[in-house]
Amino acid sequence: MKKFLILFISIMLLSLAGCGDKEYEIPLIIYDSEDLYMQDFEDLIYLNDDYAEFHFTSYDSKNSQIIQNEIVGDVFLNESNVIVVNPVDRLGVYPIIAKAKENDISIIFINREPIKEDLLLYDKLYYVGAKPEQSAEYQADIIIDLFGGNPDSLNEFDLNEDNIIQCVILKGEPGHQDAEIRTENVIEELLTAGFEVEILTVEEAYFSQDLASQKMRDLIPLYGESMEVVIANNDAMAIGAINVLIEEEYFIDENLDGIIDRATETWFPVVGIDGLPIAVELIEQGYLYGTVLNDSETMAQAINELAFLLVSGLDISDFSFVIEDNKYIWIDYKKIY
Amino acid sequence: MKLFRNFSIDKKLSIVVILLVFSALLFSSGFVFFRTFSSFESVVENNSKEINKQIILNYESHFEEIREVGRYIELETSKLNNANQTNLFSLYNSFATLNADIISISLVDEAGIVRATSYANYVQNLYLTEHEWFSKAIENEGIYFFFISPVKKVFLNTDEEVINASKRIEFYINGEEHVGVLLIELSTLKIDTISKQSNLGEGGHIILFDDQDELIYSSDSNCIDSTCLSNVLARDLIIGGKFVEINGTEMYMSVNTIQGTRWRIATFINVEIISSSQSTLLMMLFYVFITTIVLSIVGTSILTKQITKPLNQLKAHMLEIQNSDHLYREVDIKGQKEVVILAQAYNDMIKEIRRLLDRLVEEQNEKRKTELIALQTQINPHFLYNTLDSIVWLAEQKDNEHVIETVVALSRFFRISISGGKDVIPIEKELQHAQYYIQIQQIRYSNKFDYTFDIDQSILGFEVVKLVLQPLIENAIQHGIHEEYKGLINIKAYQENGFINFEVSNNGYGLTKQKIDEIYEKISSDNHESVGLKNVVQRLKLYYGPTSGIEIISVLDKSTTFRIFYPIQGGGI
Repeated sequence: MKKFLILFISIMLLSLAGCGDKEYEIPLIIYDSEDLYMQDFEDLIYLNDDYAEFHFTSYDSKNSQIIQNEIVGDVFLNESNVIVVNPVDRLGVYPIIAKAKENDISIIFINREPIKEDLLLYDKLYYVGAKPEQSAEYQADIIIDLFGGNPDSLNEFDLNEDNIIQCVILKGEPGHQDAEIRTENVIEELLTAGFEVEILTVEEAYFSQDLASQKMRDLIPLYGESMEVVIANNDAMAIGAINVLIEEEYFIDENLDGIIDRATETWFPVVGIDGLPIAVELIEQGYLYGTVLNDSETMAQAINELAFLLVSGLDISDFSFVIEDNKYIWIDYKKIY
Repeated sequence: MKLFRNFSIDKKLSIVVILLVFSALLFSSGFVFFRTFSSFESVVENNSKEINKQIILNYESHFEEIREVGRYIELETSKLNNANQTNLFSLYNSFATLNADIISISLVDEAGIVRATSYANYVQNLYLTEHEWFSKAIENEGIYFFFISPVKKVFLNTDEEVINASKRIEFYINGEEHVGVLLIELSTLKIDTISKQSNLGEGGHIILFDDQDELIYSSDSNCIDSTCLSNVLARDLIIGGKFVEINGTEMYMSVNTIQGTRWRIATFINVEIISSSQSTLLMMLFYVFITTIVLSIVGTSILTKQITKPLNQLKAHMLEIQNSDHLYREVDIKGQKEVVILAQAYNDMIKEIRRLLDRLVEEQNEKRKTELIALQTQINPHFLYNTLDSIVWLAEQKDNEHVIETVVALSRFFRISISGGKDVIPIEKELQHAQYYIQIQQIRYSNKFDYTFDIDQSILGFEVVKLVLQPLIENAIQHGIHEEYKGLINIKAYQENGFINFEVSNNGYGLTKQKIDEIYEKISSDNHESVGLKNVVQRLKLYYGPTSGIEIISVLDKSTTFRIFYPIQGGGI
């Protein structure tokens, strides 16, 4: 009897010890798992989890702040003291922050930047992302490069040789921070660099490939002759535009090898932002001229390292990334063309 | 436990069954109650959340519509080389006129100067840059801010509550880029309309409050400022849902953000149906509970009665037997099969015991009879000696006739005494035996007494246990012979009222009442001292039952009579 009791107690203790060893679970709350970029980003976050101390668990907000609010309410009931949130509504995260403050939970915001006022509500809030202006800046650099780099004398891509860049802009969701900033800044950068720019049209394609194709089809009869470059707020819209441009024979793969040889075959410059794998592939095939890579890989590394520091209760000063204002971890974009 | 052990079977059964039924019912009804209730509660909760979601979608689509207008106006504004009242009035005005929700549209530059507006006439307010709608918008690029302006419109000093939607935009004045704020004043009517369209149940209401927890709108007339309970509860929850009580009504409160604004909405939906259905369910379960308990009590008592009633009968019967001699009564029990079988077995056992007991008694009687006969038939050596002495004396006198007579009498006397080992002999033989005896004694006592026989001839054929008269005669001779006068012994035999009677009387001094009682005493006493009379009476009782017996009648100085009697057995021999 005594032996059994001892055995029983040891098993209990062992299983308790087992519980103690359990990995820490960090909720990763994505705004919409249908979003291709977020799918890639999510995968990278998982791939860069080199830490035994925790693992991520994904939640899908299905592009609804209401659902995200519910998810947050649920995960706060668990023992998570660090959560990663990709906000649906960047204006609507302040209640989540208030809740987190109440429960002493750290939040790492990703992909969509909450307004500064909200980030200042509480000290355990972080944002890992890229400065949207930078993407536009880099996109402008690619365009400058395309036109030869000299504002006073544009190269052969200035089709009408008026020394003015005639462009079509495919804009993302109006009101969306990225869309507004990218649209505004790319032009601003070009102007700052001394180039003259004529915006033929700004079409709102809501970051959508299909919508971009549709808009492109409509605008070719109007601006098909005069446009010299298509500037898209993201790669999806750039790809949507390219698909139409192929139909309209702006691209002609004469030897049918699936690759556009820019030296010998007909092509048209389209630039995107995001650096999606498919976009990178299209660059290699000669269709997409260039893109700005939202360096998700580096972001994923930063997120993992930051999560590790927060979970382990280590000092943030050990962080290998620069933290601005104790809140922002800015990851640089990369130009690909 | 000991107490329980001492309970009767029906009590035990009732307790166990009721306890079992009670606990099973309690458990199952508790389970049903909480299960049903919790699932019901979650259904109501989900339903409430769904309603909340729908209302939010309505609000969001309203605000999105406004943003849509704003975007269009922004685009049109930014296209112009010179954004001023002249160029923009008709555009702004047509939107403000066509869209019922839009009161006005204005463009304010960085310095707070109104560059264009939908109002034909307006008053330039001096401190526009100090307004929150202005500062927030100018600081945050690309975002629409929605504010409630408490009492007055921005431009016209009229008392009407409006919503200000503002956004930082860029525009050109004389080809020069400027930054400013686009302001759209909205009527609160739509907010009210949406809330009125929602079905929130009796007392259900909606409140809107901003990121500073200030109340923006309330559909409840009881909630007019930020200190009202609804706003306090919603503020404390921040976001999420829970059951709350407002003005004694149970409500489900959902708090959520409205996308694209910095506002939160709290919906309060009447969920009294939960508690009312809860009490209905509770009532129903209570009835089921009571009915089942009552039924099980009745059922148990009927069942236990069926078992215990015959058992109790059996018990009572057994106790009765223990306390008395009713061994001959069998018990008659109907009811539970097992108990009936038990009673049957009990009856069989009783029968067997009775049979054994009867046999035992019979055997005892037989044994006693044998003993008594043996005793009776023992030859009194005294008698034999005296008789032989008499014969010797007679022989010396050469009285051959009397010698022969005596010897013959003696031999016949013994012959009848033996009777071939039979216990019962005809009365005739018994009388002969008595006569031989009395003959012998007459010779022995030299005719000191006379005797007579007075016999009812009709009884000669009946039987009698042998050797009952001789002890009486011996007794009569002993006490009836005197020196002064001749004794007289009278022997009488007759039947009367179904009884055979033998009377032996002498004319001795008689017996006192006291003496008679002593004799009776001796006869009925249990000691083994064997007296001739006692032996006779015992044998009579053994053979003929308790109605047989002895009676002593004495008249002092005159006579003493011993009468023995016994019931006639069957016919003659």
